[in-house]
Amino acid sequence: MIETLRKKGAGNPLKCVQCGSCTSACPVTLIREDFNPRRIVGSIARFNRLPDQDPWLCSTCSLCSERCPQAVNPFSIIMVLRSVLYENGGEAPLSILKMVEQVRETGLAFPLTPESREKRRLLCLPEAGLSEQGLSEVRRILREAGFK
Amino acid sequence: MSLTLYLGCVIRTVQPEVEKAVKETLSRIGVSFSEQPEASCCAPSWFFSLSREAWLRLNERNMRLLNSTVVTACDDCFASLSDAFRIIAESKGVKPPGLKPFQTLLLERLREVKPRLGFKGLRCAVQHSCRFLRPAGRGLDNPEDPKTVKSVLEALGFLPVSYEGELNCCGGFVSDENVGGEMARLKAGSAEKAGADCIVATCSHCMLRLSPVSRIPVLHLGQLSAFSLGSDPLQIGFPEALLRRVVKR
Repeated sequence: MIETLRKKGAGNPLKCVQCGSCTSACPVTLIREDFNPRRIVGSIARFNRLPDQDPWLCSTCSLCSERCPQAVNPFSIIMVLRSVLYENGGEAPLSILKMVEQVRETGLAFPLTPESREKRRLLCLPEAGLSEQGLSEVRRILREAGFK
Repeated sequence: MSLTLYLGCVIRTVQPEVEKAVKETLSRIGVSFSEQPEASCCAPSWFFSLSREAWLRLNERNMRLLNSTVVTACDDCFASLSDAFRIIAESKGVKPPGLKPFQTLLLERLREVKPRLGFKGLRCAVQHSCRFLRPAGRGLDNPEDPKTVKSVLEALGFLPVSYEGELNCCGGFVSDENVGGEMARLKAGSAEKAGADCIVATCSHCMLRLSPVSRIPVLHLGQLSAFSLGSDPLQIGFPEALLRRVVKR
């Protein structure tokens, strides 16, 4: 796991001194005590294994990395954890997979509904969405990056 | 001054009135801009979490299309484009396109053009987006005491209101709806308790998270700027409830 983090350019958990600055800054921990960035980093540093916490709970606010006195960058570590889990067949939140699907449909992460098209027309805004050629480029990128 | 405007997915699909407001604001402060309709989603953190390769390649394509200085209307787009463009440009040995958040550009221009303002008095609680504040190394604002959006509001004749938890994340990107919703409820409740008439955001995802739980209206900064600079409130989605609270100059 430590090697994977290094290859993906994420922070170095071995520098962590377990001071807990990350966890005391984390806005999610305030609501869900079982989400604990200090323990996530500690589990990788001590046991070199995937922590048993859901990295998708992270709000991605990056305050943990800002407050870390050791420049461990827990935020970046959690982002890589997500991708490692997903690449190994783990589940990603449905809301996120829906947005990927939407990018494949229109090039944008949210749907262009008949209502939003009508609203755009009434406000004299140009049509939104990519051309067929643009869409085929986006779809090729997603396919080649491994999205089925 | 000529720029390329990158609005982002949420504004183009869910918030056309914000698009109208941002465009009206730019025109009214003398910024000419073009658009690049072929630019795709900037593939922010949630996308990056699934595939760094897709994030970089989608933005390599965006970088090819957006070849002049870009102004972003959503801080999440700003952060994603900024990080990706830097990595891509370094790998190719080229200079990345310039990028500027809407609020930074607005503050610069308001100091230069000093427009005539029609209203004053609205009390605004600022939702400082995480992407605008951090990493501090980006140097956009002081993450512990941000001033940009408040200065814009003051220049427009509005009153920024401080509130408890002002710098907290709104939970915009928490996938667990219960956790994200609770974070947003705490923030919106605190803003209302401090006497704010509305919450002002510069990130579309903050708006999406806060709007359903807030009892006071949640607006994009562009809606306030366009209103103050003379746009038709109906066209820019300016809430009727707030019209009763502003004072004509």
